[in-house]
Amino acid sequence: MFYKQSINRKLFVWVNAAALTFITLIGIVPFIHLLAVSLSSNTAAMAGEVKLIPIGITLDAYDYLIHKVEFLRSLVVSLKRVVLGTAINMFLVFITAYPLAKSTEQFRARTAYVWFFAITIFLGGGLIPTFIIVKETGLINSIWALILPGALNVWNMIMMLNFFRGIPKEMEEAATIDGAGHWVLLWKIYLPVSLPSIATIGLFTVVGHWNSWFDGILYMNSPENYPLQTYLSTLITAMNAQIQSISVEQLKALENLSEKTLRTAQIFMGALPILMVYPFLQKYFIKGMTVGSVKE
Amino acid sequence: MSDKLAHLRRRNSNIPLHLMLLPGVLVTLIYAYGPILGVVMAFQKYEPALGFLKSEWVGWENFEYVFNLPDFNQVLWNTVLIASLKIVFSLMVPLLLALLLNEVTKNWFKRIIQTSIFLPFFLSWAVLGGVILELFSLNGPINSLVSSLGLEPTMFMGNNSWFRAIIIGSDVWKGMGYNMIIFLAAITGINASLYEAAEVDGAGRWKQMVHITLPGMMPIIILIGTLSLGGILNAGFDQILIMYNPIVYEGADVIDTFTYRLGLFSQQFAPATAVGLFKSGISLALVSLSYYLAYKFSNYRIF
Amino acid sequence: MIKKVVSSVLISTLLAASLAACGSSNENASNSNAATPTNQSHDANEPAAAPDPLGKYEQPVTVTEVIGYRPPEDAGTPKGITPEQNAYLKDLKEAMNIEIKYLWAVPSEQFEQKFSLALATGDLPDVMQVDTKTFEKLKKQDMLADMTDAYNNYATPELKEWIESDGGFTLKTVTSEGKILGIPSFEDPYMSTQLIWIRKDWLKNLNLEAPKTIDELEKVAEAFVNNDPDKNGKDDTYGIAMQKALIGWGFDARGLFNGFGSAPKSWLKGADGKLAAGEIQPEAKEALAKLQSWYQKGIIDQEFALKDETKMSEDITAGKVGITYGEWWVPNWPLNLNMDKDPNAEWEAYQIPGLNGPGKSLVGKLRLNSITVVNKKFEHPEAAVKMINFYNLMLNKENFEKNKAEDGYVYNWFQPRIYQPNLFDVIYDEVNKAIAANQDEIPVTDSSYRGINDVFLATKAFLAGDTSTRSKGTNWGLYASRAAENGGWGLTRKIRESGQVFFNEFYGLPTPTQLDKGSQLDKLIDETYIKIIMGDSLSEFDKFVSSWKKLGGDDITNEVNEWYEKEAVK
Repeated sequence: MFYKQSINRKLFVWVNAAALTFITLIGIVPFIHLLAVSLSSNTAAMAGEVKLIPIGITLDAYDYLIHKVEFLRSLVVSLKRVVLGTAINMFLVFITAYPLAKSTEQFRARTAYVWFFAITIFLGGGLIPTFIIVKETGLINSIWALILPGALNVWNMIMMLNFFRGIPKEMEEAATIDGAGHWVLLWKIYLPVSLPSIATIGLFTVVGHWNSWFDGILYMNSPENYPLQTYLSTLITAMNAQIQSISVEQLKALENLSEKTLRTAQIFMGALPILMVYPFLQKYFIKGMTVGSVKE
Repeated sequence: MSDKLAHLRRRNSNIPLHLMLLPGVLVTLIYAYGPILGVVMAFQKYEPALGFLKSEWVGWENFEYVFNLPDFNQVLWNTVLIASLKIVFSLMVPLLLALLLNEVTKNWFKRIIQTSIFLPFFLSWAVLGGVILELFSLNGPINSLVSSLGLEPTMFMGNNSWFRAIIIGSDVWKGMGYNMIIFLAAITGINASLYEAAEVDGAGRWKQMVHITLPGMMPIIILIGTLSLGGILNAGFDQILIMYNPIVYEGADVIDTFTYRLGLFSQQFAPATAVGLFKSGISLALVSLSYYLAYKFSNYRIF
Repeated sequence: MIKKVVSSVLISTLLAASLAACGSSNENASNSNAATPTNQSHDANEPAAAPDPLGKYEQPVTVTEVIGYRPPEDAGTPKGITPEQNAYLKDLKEAMNIEIKYLWAVPSEQFEQKFSLALATGDLPDVMQVDTKTFEKLKKQDMLADMTDAYNNYATPELKEWIESDGGFTLKTVTSEGKILGIPSFEDPYMSTQLIWIRKDWLKNLNLEAPKTIDELEKVAEAFVNNDPDKNGKDDTYGIAMQKALIGWGFDARGLFNGFGSAPKSWLKGADGKLAAGEIQPEAKEALAKLQSWYQKGIIDQEFALKDETKMSEDITAGKVGITYGEWWVPNWPLNLNMDKDPNAEWEAYQIPGLNGPGKSLVGKLRLNSITVVNKKFEHPEAAVKMINFYNLMLNKENFEKNKAEDGYVYNWFQPRIYQPNLFDVIYDEVNKAIAANQDEIPVTDSSYRGINDVFLATKAFLAGDTSTRSKGTNWGLYASRAAENGGWGLTRKIRESGQVFFNEFYGLPTPTQLDKGSQLDKLIDETYIKIIMGDSLSEFDKFVSSWKKLGGDDITNEVNEWYEKEAVK
């Protein structure tokens, strides 16, 4: 791209860069804090003295962490979930969004379908009925309980549908005249031109699977099947504020709280793998293959 | 051209389209519509031992119970206020960021910024809450800044207006990377030839943004805005529960924290379901309304 | 009291020794149906084929359970072991032919969520340990099996001794219409006695005496704020730990309220013999006035209303504060952390200050931790009792030493477990006896062995300055909470003997109005109290009292008194 650089433009570029850098810094602060705590001595961490610089640097927490079976076991479950879940989610989003992206003239039933799906975003049955259905379909304690109930993410599907609409009609017409059916259209025309939106929605799906933890508690009957975030959530659960006296059993839970550096190291490491996915997808958001670039 | 389309339509049957929808419909029927039957609980005195079929029917009693609780109006008002400001800012801030980021030409810089803006999204409120309380405490960095400007330090988290502002601000901050990416993807979808033409006409960056980028993003902006309207009664349960304290109950107690405290005394499933149904009803109505308005005034179907 | 304790120790020691003998000689011995009944021959009414508390079923019996568990305490436990792999289950199968199947086993932090889900969907196991609320709920829905026969015929004498050690008070609370519906596990209610913990080294630094009255406490606390008690030349300390839950579980204001003879969120017997809510009494207003002045003077943290228990534990660990109200356990956490951080730190427990000399603390009538119940659908209620017997047998010295953590024995995963109610007294007596006699081992071999031994080792290590196995703070924490004469439990015992307490008379379940309005009233209390402390006019208290009454407080008072007349065990 080529344009004249006026003084104003230069000023804007610098101010813009400064503002964005500032926002970047405040986004990183919590992570630096976690890292600092995890690298500090436990006494300093327990005294709440560690802010952004480790005090009494030690790698003990990480040394302990690499032998922590629970952490590694859950990491594997999470990876499995992300791979399986994302593949299924993306496939369903893709084949569901395609027909619904057609105009009403092309596909009469689309509006009825779309509302059928959209309503479920706002109206849910709540925890208990959902649990009963998952149980009745025999998914309890299997990884499918974390994948199937949310296999079609309606929000993502609607977003995909809107991206599909941006694809020029001419491309579709040309292909249809050549005798291509819907399946061919979908895979040969829509897929290649939708890479930025696939990357976006794919990222959300990966992140969604990675971050969700509550379904792990609900549907898994043993921590061996816990995804990582479900396991991590056990580390930050606070003591119920309503109790008025601590029993000997509860005291043990308090004593466990004392391993602050180890807990923090796990929280920090729990966010890392997903951050590594990010750069792979990122190039698509920045200068993805724009629809316009395949206009021939 | 429309003749040609009509012709094609007649020739191509829509059966493959229905087939494509089948898996999605099945999953949705089972796992989304199945549980919806459970909302009958809102009209029952639900006893687990009896189940849905045999529990006693009580009509609107659960709803009346919740609506008649003292403070319910205040709580509802807090919820709507906090949630609607969150909706507005969660739309505007990422939009602004996406536009600003689009002006950055250095790719490495772009990447670093994008990644770090997304970072807070990966931490739970249980972790972030502590960091934020620390930031805004009397001895925290924000107050040192305040006093270096010659002002009195403020107990931010102990003041109803500040507390709300912090709740809203930190939520926008935590989630801004998410919508920003959608907007960036929308920008990349805009036809590059439009910019080239504008360039030839001598339009500057500002004009290009106002006349090409923004209109090009409009459908996505409207879509996100409409869908987020559905969250008008979700003010953020985890976040508020972790950060609030008795001094700011007045301004920060929202429907979700309120029903949570109800549940602490006894596991009351039915009133909680009634609250859930109430929330669903409101959001469905709002979203339908905006869907209709968008269709009526710009002839655009959001979905 | 002492006499009773000693005799019960003696009895349980003897009994457990005899049970251990038959349990460990070999599995067939307990199966032979001979050893135990003859030992119990004083039970003359027993029928000929007496049920055997430790007997083996001929056909395997499968028992379903659910558990919430913590990581194994012993570092030697095989890594990655799960509750299903607990070696005790294998032994139970061999000894009693009982097979345990866990419907689910989750970390204890998630137990409550998981269990309420199971409750809501009606997926309950055969045997479970529940809290009082759940117990009442299950009772109301008629889902509990009658355990009267199981208890009478299958509980070992030792277990009966434990359960009835309070004269049958607790057992009565789980009995309905003459049926025992569960086996209660309870602790000494005096465990909730409030003490005040003070940095003794700070007192010494400033040449101060430990406070006996609230006024004296105020002087000490002011000195801790202003006179640099840690002598580091910085103004970085405040007086008394306090956080947003004024009536909570730690570092809260219960002890201060008690000092004024007040106890918010509790029910006290008035002069008219009726129960009255503590939160609306004039004594509470006096305590609030005091707290308000302390807040102004900086004795309590300016931001206490924003802080929680974890934050307070950080302040204590960091040495920012030198006084906290608390129960016997505070040395265990977080005072031990402060000791480890600051080698000079010394903490001492004192009776809470009152208006004119040491004050009385509130204690509950009942300290029921859990109730072991059996699902009505399950055919062998006695299996639950037998499992308890089995577990108690496993705690004795011989079994404890034989069953190594390295071989997969994780004692705190087994369920159901019943607490020995007087365990803390036994530990205190035995450890002090052994230390006084300079013994290397404790002579006790019964089921209290494990508990005693732990404290004994820590005490010995602390007194000898040995930090090879645990840090100084950890050793001290165990010693100061359970064995030290003026430590947590030591001082609590003295208070118990001198009767320096008053009682929370209500131990029933939430009444109907409490269920409906309780959370609103709690919100009102918290909000009003904290705002008064932070400077609202004291007249707000009177307004609060009248709105409390109007918003359902009066109804609750009536309901609670109705309960007191009809249902309270007196």
